[in-house]
Amino acid sequence: MKTTQLMLVSAIASLVAAPAMAQQKTESEKCYGIVKAGKNDCQTATSSCAGTSKTDGQKDAWIAVPKGTCEKIVGASTTPKK
Amino acid sequence: MSAPGLSALQEAFRTQLLSGEVPELSSVAGGRIPAAARLRIHRHHVLASLTAALAATFSTVEAVVGPEFFAAMAGAFVMKAPPAQPVLSEYGADFPAFAAAWPEASGLPYLADVARLDWALNLAYGAPQVPALRLEDLAAVPPHELPGLPVSLNPGVAIITSAYPIDRIWVLSHRPEEAGDDPVALDSGAVRLLVFPRADDAAFVALDAFEAALAASLLEGKALGEAFEAAAAAWPDADPRAALGRLLAVGALGLRAEMVTDP
Amino acid sequence: MRAGIGLRARHLDEIVQHAGAVGFLEIHAENYLAGGPALRKVERLRRDHALSVHGVGLSLGSAEGLDATHLARVAALVERLQPAFVSEHLAWSRVGGTYLNDLLPLPYTEESLGVVTRNVERLQMALRRPVMIENPASYLAFVHSTIPEPEFLAALATRTGCELLCDINNIYVSAENLGFEPGGYLEALPAVAIGEFHLAGHARKDVDGETVLIDDHGSLICEAVWTLYRDAVARLGSRPTLVEWDTGVPELDVLLGEASRADREASRAMQA
Repeated sequence: MKTTQLMLVSAIASLVAAPAMAQQKTESEKCYGIVKAGKNDCQTATSSCAGTSKTDGQKDAWIAVPKGTCEKIVGASTTPKK
Repeated sequence: MSAPGLSALQEAFRTQLLSGEVPELSSVAGGRIPAAARLRIHRHHVLASLTAALAATFSTVEAVVGPEFFAAMAGAFVMKAPPAQPVLSEYGADFPAFAAAWPEASGLPYLADVARLDWALNLAYGAPQVPALRLEDLAAVPPHELPGLPVSLNPGVAIITSAYPIDRIWVLSHRPEEAGDDPVALDSGAVRLLVFPRADDAAFVALDAFEAALAASLLEGKALGEAFEAAAAAWPDADPRAALGRLLAVGALGLRAEMVTDP
Repeated sequence: MRAGIGLRARHLDEIVQHAGAVGFLEIHAENYLAGGPALRKVERLRRDHALSVHGVGLSLGSAEGLDATHLARVAALVERLQPAFVSEHLAWSRVGGTYLNDLLPLPYTEESLGVVTRNVERLQMALRRPVMIENPASYLAFVHSTIPEPEFLAALATRTGCELLCDINNIYVSAENLGFEPGGYLEALPAVAIGEFHLAGHARKDVDGETVLIDDHGSLICEAVWTLYRDAVARLGSRPTLVEWDTGVPELDVLLGEASRADREASRAMQA
């Protein structure tokens, strides 16, 4: 317990003495942010949503193949297993 | 046939809108456009609008598989687990588990972890703003109280671990210009990501093993000293100073409510 | 009051620079119940703009009644923002604990009128203020409906003391889809109960070879809807008017342009 206390006190003291060190690692690394849009704007509008496809949800009628950034991810199959 | 009561009618609508079949409701008027086609407009809207909401929340998953595959996946999820309440930013907690179990996505073993990252970012975005613990606050605590200090992770802060490089998959999906031309190798190592809210958005950074162990111990409710001991036991060579500085720098730490006193 | 616009996520930062450019801003309540940066921005906007809180998920037409948790969250948001207007739809979306995310149609019967009356009363009690109820855009009608929609709304206003939000585009869309005359609909609405007008664009879609209008709020307001708006203002009087755009939301200037035109069209109708 005493060792832990000393470790904490010394860690805090050295960060106080060199605040730039505390920030350095984080700032030199990428930090990725994402902003979310309103998701409840679609009720009043039938939106892009507009349309009347007869095949909605009838996924058995066809099997979609993933076609996105997965094509640049190697080491796994992008082919859906049946 | 007598007219259906409102409860029965609404139950019948639910069954029709969420099942694969679109039979005709005898109480719907047809006319110029057949009743079944009119119902299909609503059915399409329910599926398409919920798919759009899921795509906004799971934007990385959508980028990984593309909109067509995502729509098939979201459609299957919506029919299995439609929302129970109207706030759509809170819909989709079960989508990562669905992604893990959906047979059509079994060729993409990392997809569920990508979905967990998207969901954690979504929760962080909606998290309430609380004052983050600062280095000055810790420096003001009497040394003998430090080990017992009930430091916690702030609301919206989460640790997402994965056996796959889901941070690089996120970059590839949202910042392709930074990802470079080399493909992402799935066997390039496990990652531990710290997700946290910021003033105007939500973000993540990659943690090292010690930092992740420390954050996980704090999340479990361990006091500051105990959390450091647990992390150091597993990773004795790590630099505790850097780890503490890092968690403080992103505003991830706070004090558990019972310890917060008036300034 | 000059015309307002529906506030959408992509315009949140820009609108701060345009204080005074619009009469008021309308937000969808359900977008702001989970908290986050967007709510904090709206709280700042609130200082310079009159607000309208427009619910899209209360499901006032549900036979099982209102969701108490959701009602409490909406009430807390209204309490926090103190908006000039609060409105919801004559529609339902919740049954058996499932939320269907669509403004689904009601049969217009005495039973439905009783259900909606109870739910609106409960809403107004929770908010401690009257609300406005909006006429829906309809794609289907029920064979067992016995009350015409404008009379249903008029009865609801009389029974609950609520006001009506008259969506001009919805009247036009429903009239085309269900085959009725929009002028007669306007005639049947009680002028004293109308508290606000909504305007928006719609899409034309082909369904089994027949044209259906879809209320997608995704284009400029069409000339026929402007004409109907002038008729409504001439007949019912001018009211706070809101322009909505939800699909493919354009630059803010486009919305501001539509709001200015609404002001001009209303003056023109009042002078005629």
